[in-house]
Amino acid sequence: MESLLRLSRLIDAVNERVGRSIYWLVLIAVLISAGNAVVRKTFNWSSNALLEIQWYLFATVFLLGAGYTLFKNEHVRIDVISGHLSHKAQLWIDLIGTVFFLTPLCLLILYYGWPYFMNSFISQEWSSNPGGLIIWPVKIMIPAGFFLLLLQALSQLIKIIGGLSGHVDPATLIKSHGHGSADVEVEEFRAMLSDRPTPNNDNK
Amino acid sequence: MTAFIIENMAPLMFAALVVFLLFGYPIAFALAANGLAFGFIGIELGLLGPELLQALPQRIFGIMQNDTLLAIPFFTFMGLVLERSGMAEDLLDTIGQLFGPVRGGLAFAVIFVGALLAATTGVVAASVISMGLISLPIMLRYGYNTPLATGVIAASGTLAQIIPPSLVLIVLADQLGRSVGDMYQGAMVPALTLTALYALYVVALTLLRPGIAPALPPQARTLRGLALLRRVIFSLVPPLVLIFLVLGTIFLGIATPTEGGAMGATGALILALLNRRLSWDLLKQAMDTTTKLSCFVLFILIGATVFGLIFRAVNGDLWVEHLLLSLPGGQLGFLIVVNIMVFLLAFFLDFFELAFIIVPLLAPVAEKLGIDLIWFGVLLGVNMQTSFMHPPFGFALFYLRSVAPRSVKTKDIYWGAVPFVCIQIIMVALLIAFPGIVSYTAPKFEEAAPVQFDVPTLEFGAPEAPTFDFGVPGGEQPQPSQ
Repeated sequence: MESLLRLSRLIDAVNERVGRSIYWLVLIAVLISAGNAVVRKTFNWSSNALLEIQWYLFATVFLLGAGYTLFKNEHVRIDVISGHLSHKAQLWIDLIGTVFFLTPLCLLILYYGWPYFMNSFISQEWSSNPGGLIIWPVKIMIPAGFFLLLLQALSQLIKIIGGLSGHVDPATLIKSHGHGSADVEVEEFRAMLSDRPTPNNDNK
Repeated sequence: MTAFIIENMAPLMFAALVVFLLFGYPIAFALAANGLAFGFIGIELGLLGPELLQALPQRIFGIMQNDTLLAIPFFTFMGLVLERSGMAEDLLDTIGQLFGPVRGGLAFAVIFVGALLAATTGVVAASVISMGLISLPIMLRYGYNTPLATGVIAASGTLAQIIPPSLVLIVLADQLGRSVGDMYQGAMVPALTLTALYALYVVALTLLRPGIAPALPPQARTLRGLALLRRVIFSLVPPLVLIFLVLGTIFLGIATPTEGGAMGATGALILALLNRRLSWDLLKQAMDTTTKLSCFVLFILIGATVFGLIFRAVNGDLWVEHLLLSLPGGQLGFLIVVNIMVFLLAFFLDFFELAFIIVPLLAPVAEKLGIDLIWFGVLLGVNMQTSFMHPPFGFALFYLRSVAPRSVKTKDIYWGAVPFVCIQIIMVALLIAFPGIVSYTAPKFEEAAPVQFDVPTLEFGAPEAPTFDFGVPGGEQPQPSQ
């Protein structure tokens, strides 16, 4: 079990590294898009490459971020029922979901997505827009993203089995309640409010 | 048995969907699993060809190419940066002081600031948290009725869902196949009407029960006269500039909604920089949260696409269409049933799921019945707002609970939400009764007649609220390139 858990930690680290790298693309896309709008208006100049790179970046973010988001347990669930069950029952739900819901989807998309990318790669497919970009670098994100997701599914599976067999504390695998980030967010707000410069209109 | 399954594939699939979703595994994968399971059954029974699933990468690629959805990370990022820029705090402090002397003044301030925040940040959680932390304690200290105070905060925070530039409207426009710009324009008047209805409700309450929302006593009003006026003007500048950057550029035709989001996000970064709030931590956190939110939203869409592909292949769309078209009462019957259904589903599903699963099934039927899809989208948008306010699962109530002082009972928060949910339902009824409330101008008809467009602040008499025209005469209509 220990070596499996080590593998799981390795996968977590990989996806965490990927997630923390790709989130910079959000900022880059924002700046390109805003810059493009300004340049088009003021200099009446625009290019399809600049338009296309924006969705290239966003597609990369959400596809490669899938494993990271799964690791952080941020894919939304309906926990109306499961939220009231024991930790053990919730682990079983995750076990079944990982094996029967998530894994088949990843395998299927990998199975069809790889040739889909290869066709584009072999034919060196270019965008049909004038001045557009070459397409395969973004099409490869489909198999790449689902591969990372599949890896993370494996890691989650190891952790869930660890939780069910007592090797891992189950509480660490369960999200507190649907919107688990609320408490963190509230704390950050409190911290921000306590050091804000303007005086509060308290009783003086 | 097999014959029964073949006959009823679509209803069975829909019933199974409910079970899959309630199971408690992430919705994106439950949706996809439901599609794949029935796809497999369909192939085994010889109903479907295996080549159907081969279309999936192409479908995913279609989602990747979607320029409209690109607005989701931009507006999310903008909201997250603004949330920490100190804008909400400044607004609440100064507007609270401005309206303080009036009975119910703090409640009006919350509604007004809620609308301003909605037009800029568009993040329900951020609005509710900042108003819950800043305004709620003051309201309670000066004797506001607790359910009223919590209800008005939750409802005003929820305005972010219907006042442009909201993510709900973007997703609805995308799913209905209409332009986001038209959707924003169409939602403007209904959103302001809803805001006004909230304010009217507070006015009515203060007239009927003066003690429910007293005016601030003089010692609580630290700013007066010119000092107050200066603070008010200064705190209003950032949101107004941002509103212009985003909505102004979109309505003037300078930027596409996606670019408007990027401009707003850049503006938010600059504002945070000027307020000395911009740090590496803030930036990283905003990018991190944007990545995760984009990811779960887009994966719900991917899941819904897998589901939709198979559901259509087993003629599920025809089944739904037949079901809805056979309702008595034509258009009205359809609208009433759909709205009741969405209202009930909103107890369990949030708007992303509703928009991605339900709307694609409703849109073709609505179109067949001759319903204008922009109007239909706005109607659904107003209705879906209730999903934030439904006790006990509403997001807004949940966030409010986590910031409210312990003296506030959860029961108060729930009961406080009820009148505002009723107002939202009244708004839905108003929209059905007077469809003209949703007015958007197709540019080709409006070239000669410039339409005055008022930013939401105008009705409150803000001194420097800009008005801008769109539909510029003389054919100088700038075309955003797509």
